[in-house]
Amino acid sequence: MRGTAPWFRISVVLVTGCAVLLPLGIILYQSFLDAPFFQPSVKLSLSAFQFVLADRDFHRAFATTAVIALGMAAIAVPVGSLLAFLLVRTDLPGRNWLEPVVLIPIFLSPVVLGFGYVVSAGPVGFFSLWAKQVFGSVPWNLYSLASLTWIAGLTHIPYVYLYTSSALRALSADLEEAAAVAGAGAVRIAFTVSLPMVRPAILYSGVLVFFLGFEVFGLALILGDPGGLLVLSTYLFKLTNRLGVPSYQLMAVVAVVIVAIAFPLVYLQRRLLRASSRFVTLRGKGLSQRPLMLGRWRWAGFGLVVVWLCVTVLLPLSGVFLRSFVSSWGEGVRLAEVATLENFRQLLDYPNLVRGITNTLILAVFGGAVAVGCYALIGLALHRWQSGWARTLDYLVMVPRGMPGLVAGLAFLWVFLFVKPLAPLRNTLFSIWLAYSVVWLAYGMRLISSALLQVSPELEEAGHIMGASRGQVTRDVTLPLIRFGLLGSWLLVFMIFVREYSTGVYLLGPGTEVIGSLIVSLWSTGAIDIVAALSVVNVLLVAIGLAVALRLGVRLHG
Amino acid sequence: MAMTRGFTKALPLLMAFFAAAYSRAADPTRPATSPQILAAAEKEGKIVIYSTTDSVAAAPLLKDFGALYPKITVEYNDMNSTEIYNRFLSEAAAGGGSADLLWSSAMDLQIKLANDGNALAYQSPEAAHLPAWAVWKNEAFGTTFEPIAFVYNKRLLKPEEVPHSHAELIKLLKANPERFKGKVTSYDPERSGIGFLLITQDARTDPAFAEAAKAYGKVGVKLYPSTGAMMERILSGEHLIGFNMIGSYAIAKQRKDPSLGVVYPKDYTLVMSRIAIIPKMAKRPNAGKVFLDYLLSSRGQEIIGNKAALFSIRPDVQGETTAATLNKEMGSSLKPIPVSPSLLVYLDQSKRLEFLKQWQEALGTK
Repeated sequence: MRGTAPWFRISVVLVTGCAVLLPLGIILYQSFLDAPFFQPSVKLSLSAFQFVLADRDFHRAFATTAVIALGMAAIAVPVGSLLAFLLVRTDLPGRNWLEPVVLIPIFLSPVVLGFGYVVSAGPVGFFSLWAKQVFGSVPWNLYSLASLTWIAGLTHIPYVYLYTSSALRALSADLEEAAAVAGAGAVRIAFTVSLPMVRPAILYSGVLVFFLGFEVFGLALILGDPGGLLVLSTYLFKLTNRLGVPSYQLMAVVAVVIVAIAFPLVYLQRRLLRASSRFVTLRGKGLSQRPLMLGRWRWAGFGLVVVWLCVTVLLPLSGVFLRSFVSSWGEGVRLAEVATLENFRQLLDYPNLVRGITNTLILAVFGGAVAVGCYALIGLALHRWQSGWARTLDYLVMVPRGMPGLVAGLAFLWVFLFVKPLAPLRNTLFSIWLAYSVVWLAYGMRLISSALLQVSPELEEAGHIMGASRGQVTRDVTLPLIRFGLLGSWLLVFMIFVREYSTGVYLLGPGTEVIGSLIVSLWSTGAIDIVAALSVVNVLLVAIGLAVALRLGVRLHG
Repeated sequence: MAMTRGFTKALPLLMAFFAAAYSRAADPTRPATSPQILAAAEKEGKIVIYSTTDSVAAAPLLKDFGALYPKITVEYNDMNSTEIYNRFLSEAAAGGGSADLLWSSAMDLQIKLANDGNALAYQSPEAAHLPAWAVWKNEAFGTTFEPIAFVYNKRLLKPEEVPHSHAELIKLLKANPERFKGKVTSYDPERSGIGFLLITQDARTDPAFAEAAKAYGKVGVKLYPSTGAMMERILSGEHLIGFNMIGSYAIAKQRKDPSLGVVYPKDYTLVMSRIAIIPKMAKRPNAGKVFLDYLLSSRGQEIIGNKAALFSIRPDVQGETTAATLNKEMGSSLKPIPVSPSLLVYLDQSKRLEFLKQWQEALGTK
């Protein structure tokens, strides 16, 4: 673009590059060593690669993970984008209150979500026991690969929903109106006009969900354990102990393999979106959006949403809620006899609970906002910039999530230990914020960059013609136009930060506890009753927060 | 002038000495830390602890320590044993501070840290009250006496079915293969350090171990990385019985939910101990020493045994969850895992992988 200051763009690229490459570089270097990199006797070696690549468990884990990731994308992308269309563009009944509900699955720690399924639909879950009475046996197996894939797919729908819905909101209505005038019904418009127009967002979300498939840990741990299912992240967990002492080089190799998968994915994405001008939908002349009439499909659409909510929200949440109010459950237990409020009482006594909740909220609300600010800077720096720098950054953004949480956590610990200028910040919330923001970079940024993709150049050019500087155009034209992208990004980052844990595990300490870490440390010692109570509190807090925000006029849509 | 200043300087020390001497006479349970170390620790003012004991279980201990030594603030970090090891090693390599006391149930990793020269030698005045097997070179100290138990679901396992020895467990499984299919659970030695330690001790202690492993394999034993998941699944009836469960956690759970049954096997009951070490590079070594003395003192052990349910290791502490009571009831069938370099055998990579291979072959899963 004319008159832009390349120093701004280049410095953004350099700072982002540092934040991404520092932890990644350590991991890459570590994968080619035969011992921890800080040991004096360490030597360069390919032995770690040889060990992992020859390990039968690794092959098994890799295959299972690929199946789960593909299945997740195949389930989440169509259902999620359809859901977004229904809630954003049509007159679906109850769409205003449905929206926050749809997002619930990403608030919950996957460990808790998985556990909720065990309580409700596991071998002795209450639905299963009921089904056993009716059918004589339990007609499903929660611990199979198919169940794991379905549950992972269904619970990742909110991601696709967020990406697609924020793109749909920025879709100007003229195209749909034209189709409606030409006589197309709502369903036809969805599949031939609206959804194809937001293809970049859908595609991005597909790639990101596929990639999240490589990260599935909590669900796999809870639902995969009894059936002996091994995925890459649980394999990694195994590697930390397999040889007695943690073997960083082996863990690094697994991370490097996953990062390597990211490159062809980004390449594919770039190829598919080469003609990005086709997706410009925010033009000079826009019409205000009117919801499309669903007609006879109205209640069918509503039914679809409700069924999905039952399976992904009601089923696991009812398990968690139930567990929080009883001392025991399962076969041979009469719930009336074990009902108790004791779990909540114990939760109140838990040391550092209030600080954990406060820290989590600070991190999620303010940290989330700051992270979105940074993502927006990166997005703007890349905006309409045809250059090698921009291409490089496209790849850079994606790779941090290639590091599984366990490994990313270690990498960030090392960054804060061995990069001396950063060392004083190690025991502050900043270190955790930085780790979270870098790892989830791709996820927050894509919402912003696909919003930017929708803005037609003519709008910004009009500003330039009027004599506005680049800064003014950005502030008064571009940013307001991508507000849905920014808001969606903030919402996503908020939700991720509320339940993220593994990335920060080595940076957390007294004073910087977060809910995620409390849940995991309670879980491992068996205080599952308190975990359930804490999760209920967590869900209520988030629900209250959302309700207050909506009341105060923070609108999820325009 | 000069004399007065010297005297004013010495006065607090002197007072501390008399105060310590006085309170010691008044309270025999008070830790026998020397006044010099205590004064130095109070000057350090703080202690950083990395521990696998979760903060709920440790809370009464920390509260009492705070009441006893109000001038030493405790910064208590609970994390899992791998995290402690990783964090400590990385911090040690980077220089700059780390913990002043490492307190972990991963006995082998703690001994490895000490054996690799990371532990500070300290002749704790309280260590004389510990059994000989619990102290190694004045560097690593066993602090608890936690029996390894069978845990079962009282609602679903009939009283006459409950096994009281490893042999009885095997008999039970062999007699009812259908009933126990997928209903037995234990630690996964591949994913849990403590699980690995326990199963290798089984292999060493139980003459019929090979047969036992085969029986576990026959009923398709379900292996998990943490106690929490196992106990929850036993209580819900998804599984019926678990072996190699850590007794302290089981007792704590049982107090909340009496339908959990706990049995200490009569043929042999392994006993594990949380090991404390003071790192050589500790920034506040004196505070580390004070806390260690406190852990081992009869006052600290009283709380470990009777409030935290972690089983006190000192023979002179009485109560339900103490070594004293267990010794009375079980006698020679208790097999404590010694705090010694013998724990390092299986940290040798090839030996460890070989053991895992044999274990999986015996189970029939590979």
